[in-house]
Amino acid sequence: MTTAGGFIKAIESGTKHLVIRRFTLRYPEQKLKFVGDGYQFDPKRGVGIAGYRGRHILIHDKCTGCQLCAIACEGIAEAIGMVKVDEQWKQNKKAIMPQIDYGKCVFCGLCVDACPFYALFMTNDYELSSFTKEHLIYTPGQLAIKPKYQGDVEIVIDDRGATHG
Amino acid sequence: MTSLEDKVEESRKLGLQIVKESEEDRLMTLSVGPQHPGSGHFRFIIKLDGDYIVYCDPDPGYVHRGEEKMCEYRNVIQNIPHLERPVIHDSNNVTYSYSLAIEELVGIEVPRRGQFIRAIASELNRQVYTLYWLAIYGIFLGHSTMFMWPTGDRELFIDLLEALTGARVTHAFNIPGGVRNDMPDGFKDRCIRQVRYFEKRLKEYEDIFYNNPLFRQRTEQVGVLSKEDAAKLGVTGSVVRASGIPYDIRKAEPYDIYNEIDFKVQYMKSGDSYARSYVPFLDMKESCHIIEDLLDKMPESGEVRAKLQPNPKGPPGEAYRRVESGRGALGYYVVSDGTPKPYRVKISVGSFRNILALPYLLVGQKLADMPAIYWSLNYWPVEADR
Repeated sequence: MTTAGGFIKAIESGTKHLVIRRFTLRYPEQKLKFVGDGYQFDPKRGVGIAGYRGRHILIHDKCTGCQLCAIACEGIAEAIGMVKVDEQWKQNKKAIMPQIDYGKCVFCGLCVDACPFYALFMTNDYELSSFTKEHLIYTPGQLAIKPKYQGDVEIVIDDRGATHG
Repeated sequence: MTSLEDKVEESRKLGLQIVKESEEDRLMTLSVGPQHPGSGHFRFIIKLDGDYIVYCDPDPGYVHRGEEKMCEYRNVIQNIPHLERPVIHDSNNVTYSYSLAIEELVGIEVPRRGQFIRAIASELNRQVYTLYWLAIYGIFLGHSTMFMWPTGDRELFIDLLEALTGARVTHAFNIPGGVRNDMPDGFKDRCIRQVRYFEKRLKEYEDIFYNNPLFRQRTEQVGVLSKEDAAKLGVTGSVVRASGIPYDIRKAEPYDIYNEIDFKVQYMKSGDSYARSYVPFLDMKESCHIIEDLLDKMPESGEVRAKLQPNPKGPPGEAYRRVESGRGALGYYVVSDGTPKPYRVKISVGSFRNILALPYLLVGQKLADMPAIYWSLNYWPVEADR
């Protein structure tokens, strides 16, 4: 290709994008849609269920206080600590449940893989920022609340290009 | 009467001395880095004679984290999240060879569908890495469109990996024995749709960047690494392929199901910066075909993960396995003494091998050609320090 031809081709392919819709995601107004309700694990089959790995959710009436999640996290992030709760459960005699420090968590989800009682899963919530470090520590009570995450945007591809819509 | 002799005579009378400039005074020492000469903390000291580089001394080690030592204090599963930190853009390939080595040690067979999902995730992640690399190469050479486009199109693959693995960048997806989870519903169609769109985009990349006369003038015949030197220095990945040696671990030493996949090893013969930047582009094109081929041949259903004991351990022994990562051969040498924790883990990375060629390539080149040569070596400082 000649030098002039190369320049013309380069400029042409750039200017074409003046009229094509933008690919950018406009974040707080638009939020990405995820697969399912978050990463889960089936201990019977020994395999995970695909989903986004965001903040955890703790199902109180299934947690036995076995500490397996805290042991799994020990060599990874040391984010999980077991704390006393004021609840009476038949399966949880010691009344201890995990508390997660999101200042340390790396969202690998290996604690979910370690839980044999279907008590700890992950959710789609990733908006966890706070003004103090203390607010990043989620108590068992806070972990039980289902997040209100509403994602509705995904990548749409047509003849005119790709966009978030 | 102002000839040179007269001036010298005059200065002698005044008691002054004229000193000729020595060789040492003419050279200027310049420290490039350690604050991000592109990406990651890395410094190289260069000496300049006018506009030409006469000496180069790479000085890595600013982001050394002791990953190999950390491995000795954790069991094989707990090692996975921290091992992918050195190069988070290519995290599936980093944990791939580790998983292969542990599987050999413990003696696990990965289910067939698991092998396919692993290979797909690894190919998608290679695209993510190469696009990020290309974006930085573009901005290094002052081409800001080539920074914006790959960074945007990277989202296509991050989106796919997010649906598949659950995380955008650090996936922690490969595990000894297979993969963490099965594919979600509708992933295959979504993957094919986005990969085909990306193939169309690659043609535009060629028009605006690779066939751009300005880019070609800056990179052609710059920093030529001959075939013999490439073999002697032991560079890997796209750098060795750009010098005319068609060496790819996926072909030379096939792992998992790569021996069933039909693909060509992309290589060029010129060995200059242009070839070193064009080979990753050809690899991206080839990767798109590999992904489609993998999705085509994948079994419709089946297990994706072999069952493991809670604390997997094998008999005492050693294993060394390599994969082709975005930067070349990436190998793990694992020694086990029969306990759940590895006795020794040695990581051999492509980045460190490739940077060894930098002093040879920079000497004799102009300073303005330094970014074009440095980043074409496909180097990731954090991975080299590990």
